Amino acid sequence: MEIRIQGVSKYYFSEGKTIKALDGVDLTIPANQIFTLLGPSGCGKTTLLRCIVGLEAPDTGEISIGDEIVWSKDRNISIPPEKRGLGMVFQTYAIWPHMNVFDNVAYPLQVRNVSRDAIRERVEKTLRFVQLEGFENRPATKLSGGQQQRVALARALVAEPKVILFDEPLSNLDAKLREETRKELKAFLGKLKITAVYVTHDRIEALALSDTIAIMRAGRIIELGSPQKIYFDADHEFVADFIGRANLVKATVRAQDAEYTVVDCGMGTITCQRRDFAVGSEVTLCLRPEFIRLVRGEGGGGKNVVDGRIDSLIFVGEAYEAEIRVGNELLLAKFDSDVNLKAGDAVSFTLDPAHCLLVSI
Amino acid sequence: MDQSRSKLTFSLVIVVGFLTVCPVVMLALGSVSEGLTAFGDFTPDKYIKAYTDPALLDVMVNTVIFVLGSSVLATVLALFLAYLNTRTDIPFKFLFKVLSIIPMMIPHLLFSVSWALLLNPSNGMINTVLKGALSLESAPFNIYTLQGMILVEALLDLPIAYLIIAPAMASFDVALEESSRVFGAGTWRTLLRVTLPILRPAILAAFVLGVVRSLASFAVPSVLGMPGRVNVLATHLYEMISLGFATDYGKAAAVGMSVLATSVTLIYVYRALTAESDKYVTISSRGYRPAVIELGRARIPLFTIVAVLSLFMIVLPVAVLLYTSFVPYTMVPSARAFSLMSLKHWSDVLQDPLSLLALKNSLFLALAGATLGVVLSVFVGYAIVKVKTRASGLLESLSFLSFSFPGIVIGVGFMWFFVQTPLYATIWALLIGYIATYLPYGVRPMASAFVQVHAHLEESSLVCGASYLTTMRRIIVPLLIPGIVSAWILMATMFVRELTLSVVLSRPGTEVLAVQILRFADDGLWGKLSALGIIMILISTSLVVLATLVGARFRTVEGGG
Repeated sequence: MEIRIQGVSKYYFSEGKTIKALDGVDLTIPANQIFTLLGPSGCGKTTLLRCIVGLEAPDTGEISIGDEIVWSKDRNISIPPEKRGLGMVFQTYAIWPHMNVFDNVAYPLQVRNVSRDAIRERVEKTLRFVQLEGFENRPATKLSGGQQQRVALARALVAEPKVILFDEPLSNLDAKLREETRKELKAFLGKLKITAVYVTHDRIEALALSDTIAIMRAGRIIELGSPQKIYFDADHEFVADFIGRANLVKATVRAQDAEYTVVDCGMGTITCQRRDFAVGSEVTLCLRPEFIRLVRGEGGGGKNVVDGRIDSLIFVGEAYEAEIRVGNELLLAKFDSDVNLKAGDAVSFTLDPAHCLLVSI
Repeated sequence: MDQSRSKLTFSLVIVVGFLTVCPVVMLALGSVSEGLTAFGDFTPDKYIKAYTDPALLDVMVNTVIFVLGSSVLATVLALFLAYLNTRTDIPFKFLFKVLSIIPMMIPHLLFSVSWALLLNPSNGMINTVLKGALSLESAPFNIYTLQGMILVEALLDLPIAYLIIAPAMASFDVALEESSRVFGAGTWRTLLRVTLPILRPAILAAFVLGVVRSLASFAVPSVLGMPGRVNVLATHLYEMISLGFATDYGKAAAVGMSVLATSVTLIYVYRALTAESDKYVTISSRGYRPAVIELGRARIPLFTIVAVLSLFMIVLPVAVLLYTSFVPYTMVPSARAFSLMSLKHWSDVLQDPLSLLALKNSLFLALAGATLGVVLSVFVGYAIVKVKTRASGLLESLSFLSFSFPGIVIGVGFMWFFVQTPLYATIWALLIGYIATYLPYGVRPMASAFVQVHAHLEESSLVCGASYLTTMRRIIVPLLIPGIVSAWILMATMFVRELTLSVVLSRPGTEVLAVQILRFADDGLWGKLSALGIIMILISTSLVVLATLVGARFRTVEGGG
């Protein structure tokens, strides 16, 4: 089901100041996708999620899920969370410690007065789906973090909601388990026809899981798009910086042609993928470390060849992370771990114009 | 919802404020009034009379020695035991757990009485045995002295001090000590320079709490101090209001004001110290075990000390009371004594109308008082933990206030209040006084129960489609039950054995168990006293056992994360 959010604001009052947790958010979450709200802590992503599920009441605007308006300030509509028929996985999992796995998962069906046999059947089916068969009678709190997470997922799925919401569900797991669970979650959700809204501050999680990512800052949605679009073709400096490691270089637009935009910066003149900026305007050039390509030997001479000197070199296993001094700029670059370099060496590298991204400041 | 919450907090502030502030205000007003009957006219006479009393200086000196002596001894013993248990390979560690919950089962009054039976100078059993064995002229020990009082009070305060120090020691990061060793300090220097300073807030907290408790203690001074005419403030106050020809509540109130002020100040010092001690908790992850120090040759001697201490604190008091309840008069255990044993004292007590009345009253107070107290505690705990407003902060401070109340002083304050109402000399006066004085014992378990109920647990039930009522019934209440049960049991055991408040508020017809036992002690009726005392211990013990069982039942589904 599609979720439409129109003009939603939410204010908090603290110590005499008004804090805009949400500042006029307009957003349409398409049906049957994994949609991620990504942003630094305090950007309002969790507040937005809680407004969708009904645990917070916005101060303005309208929210509808499918064809039903669940919240409207103007029309005075407010459907309580228990009537919205959604599923949700909480950051703390919120597994009820006084119930076993079966009762935790069966709860949404029990409160809907489903018959006993149907409950048993559907709980079994759901537990099988999340690979927790045979855990029915375990006390839920005796499970590992990853298993608890799957109980929470099963509970959110058992009533077959059209929309499921995730509030940073992986943040309580350790790094290795987080990666595994992320893969599992993607596989689980891929098998279902369901709209999933996922909140996280972890960019890798967002990139790996999502069909669409919305980046939030200070209660507003800044940019929206596929993971590739957000990573390679961000429009805003904040987004480009937030979604991955990037060198941000101040630049001035020198010329525009059909294919490229050419800028001047501390590294010289660089040809970049085309963006609609006026000639002479101040922009930011965004370079991902992995697209700084060393030129072996004396070759080069093509587009965007830059000379620099290696300032420092750190071996991190699968690669070297180098800081390259080019004029006044210090660029972070990633080299294959088999290169034979040391600090102080002079190097040349090329920048593919397709990966020279210009963003507005 | 916010509005009804603040309304709830507001009405709780009024109720709890009434319970805790009312006796204090009445005490203050009483101290500047002529007497219980001539209440309201201002006079400074009582202060002048109370503080120019030549006996007061002696009482003050005794009190300071008694309070400091017992608190220091209790803290040192607790430190010693906590170190042995958490950091060494001493055998039979379960003994430490037993030592820390015993005061719940043996009321202070009976503990004091059992020591009087053992060590009083005229016919104390140990004295008699030693006199015979060593052919001494006079008894080698006299428990009716300041030293005797300090020893017994210290043993009584030891478990509480242990419960404060042991967790702090268990959560101590051994790396702090190890690094001191690496930098060249020896075991002793490390102990003095690193371990003890880091534990200082916990140690001080244990000491301060010991001071508050021994200052309020009435059982030990009345049973062990009064026979030897060693008076401390608690017994000094008691004499003013219940002995002699002219009881003087005004004078008692005037003295009580400074006792109360000291207690309240100390309890806030204690609170600040425990807050600081929590900051020092350096390890919080599960499964962590500090390095164990091997005691080697000292293992057996050290264990012997612990074993003897356990004997003194657990076995001996109960055994002495049980024995005394069967023999016709005080005598050393012998073949003759055993042949004379009978159930006479038991049947006397069970046919004594006053004792039966006391039993009935105490049971009523325990059941009704604990139930009402827990209901109030549930609301207060909810307001403190879940409603975070300035009013709930005030509520927390108010509900903590009575933790400092010396029963006998606050009893005088309540006296002044109840005399103005038809509640005077009724069982309801005791009920209200009990709940007011012991409210923190209910609020604390409830507050920690509410802390466990994370908002997400409630919210996820709503998202699952459950109504608010269903959420209450299926999620919130079941999660609170362990807290409710332990709060109820804690309050009920406190009420069964309550002495200090009762000696002030109890009147003919509203006798309670502890007051009746004290009366037997005054009359030297040790046999009857012991029989009634054993009944009291049985009631408290069964409540504690019940608590442990219920707690264990719920623990299987608790925890995790």
